Amino acid sequence: MLAFLRRNQIFFSSCVCLLVSLYILTAAARGQIKNEPVGALLMWLLRPLQIAGQSTADWIKGFRDNYDTLAGFRSENERLRKRVQTLEIERQRLLEAEATNRQLQKLLDFRNELPSGAITATIIAGSATSWFQSCVLNKGSTDGVRKGMAVVTPLGVIGKVVAVTGRTAKVLLLTDPNSGIDVYVQRTRSRAIVSGSLDSGTMLKYVKRSEDVQEGDRLVTSGMDSVYPKGLLVGTVIKVRKQNRGLFQSIEVWPAAQVARVEEVLVVGVETEATKK
Amino acid sequence: MKLFLMFFLAGIFLVVLQTTLFHLLPIGPVVPDLILVLCVYLGLYHPSVGGVLGSFFLGYSIDIVSSPILGFNAFAMSLVYLAVYLCARSIWLHHPMVSSVVVMLAALVKGAAMVVIWAIFLSVDGFWSGAARYVLWEATLAALLAPVLFALLRRGQKIIERLDPATA
Repeated sequence: MLAFLRRNQIFFSSCVCLLVSLYILTAAARGQIKNEPVGALLMWLLRPLQIAGQSTADWIKGFRDNYDTLAGFRSENERLRKRVQTLEIERQRLLEAEATNRQLQKLLDFRNELPSGAITATIIAGSATSWFQSCVLNKGSTDGVRKGMAVVTPLGVIGKVVAVTGRTAKVLLLTDPNSGIDVYVQRTRSRAIVSGSLDSGTMLKYVKRSEDVQEGDRLVTSGMDSVYPKGLLVGTVIKVRKQNRGLFQSIEVWPAAQVARVEEVLVVGVETEATKK
Repeated sequence: MKLFLMFFLAGIFLVVLQTTLFHLLPIGPVVPDLILVLCVYLGLYHPSVGGVLGSFFLGYSIDIVSSPILGFNAFAMSLVYLAVYLCARSIWLHHPMVSSVVVMLAALVKGAAMVVIWAIFLSVDGFWSGAARYVLWEATLAALLAPVLFALLRRGQKIIERLDPATA
């Protein structure tokens, strides 16, 4: 018996791992996993590396932009090109500093409009897999970030915090199929849910065929889900399709805030009776 | 021990790469799954309990960083390891030229596992067509990148074995 087990130890240990994974999945789906020490340790380990990786990515992005800018000067001589390159890099740096300054100023103004206690954070990593749309912030529970808080920018809603460690927070983006934001169509005040999908971008769901929704309609948070403060821009309707069958319309939405173009975000919590206590 | 350290560092490096630099690639939301390639490598060349645990933790680390529910990738990667191990036991898969095909098939196994688990735990609208696209994209990208990663891992392994012949 022991020899049989030993001979097939890889098979059996794989089966054990599969069962453990299924157990974790079930427990996580039921919300039974509250504190997860391995995850906290891993995030602690990854945080500086992700910050360094993101800085490198930003540098490459900047370099690529500079290269595009310089493509028009190819015909000029070497000395002049080098000079232009130096000046262009310097200009890019200043423009970047100015843009960051403007962005932070906007963020500061926007922060005053939000419920008190908004936390400024930086996106340090994106999703490691194509199946989920998420990102990682450089602020965690030690900075006051809690699970379920909303992540927003002056442009619009980004998503909500789904897991927190001491110094990082995982955010489920509104473009993820598992997300859902309670919204109003600003023009008609009809209520619906904005959610991501795997096949056709972000969608406005559960809008009856009789409801009046048009392309260009702006969608704002209703504040009814106790996650997002009321009145924040979520996106704009870009395509409305009424099929011959079904109860609801098929409506595509262009998210107001694109996470690829955002660096700084605000993490806000909505005060509910539960949090007040 | 040194080999374990090498795979551990490679895993960390690949997770960081997948969460940061790979988002610069102009391929939309699809992220090349090098962690999967690493799991296939472990399944082919390191048939041991350590390899099983390594694959499980690689998947789990992806869950920690990106998944809304823990366990998705841990399950998928463990399944990939088991599938590769069982195939490698009966068919000769160790030729470098075959690596791309093996990785592509492993990516399809992973995709199928993700589809099944997703359908059970996270039922969403418009899932099937989107899932099929992701599975095919991921499998193609992983197959294209597999020979490079395999070569790098083999080289790293050879260097470690030269430094410490006991690990060979």
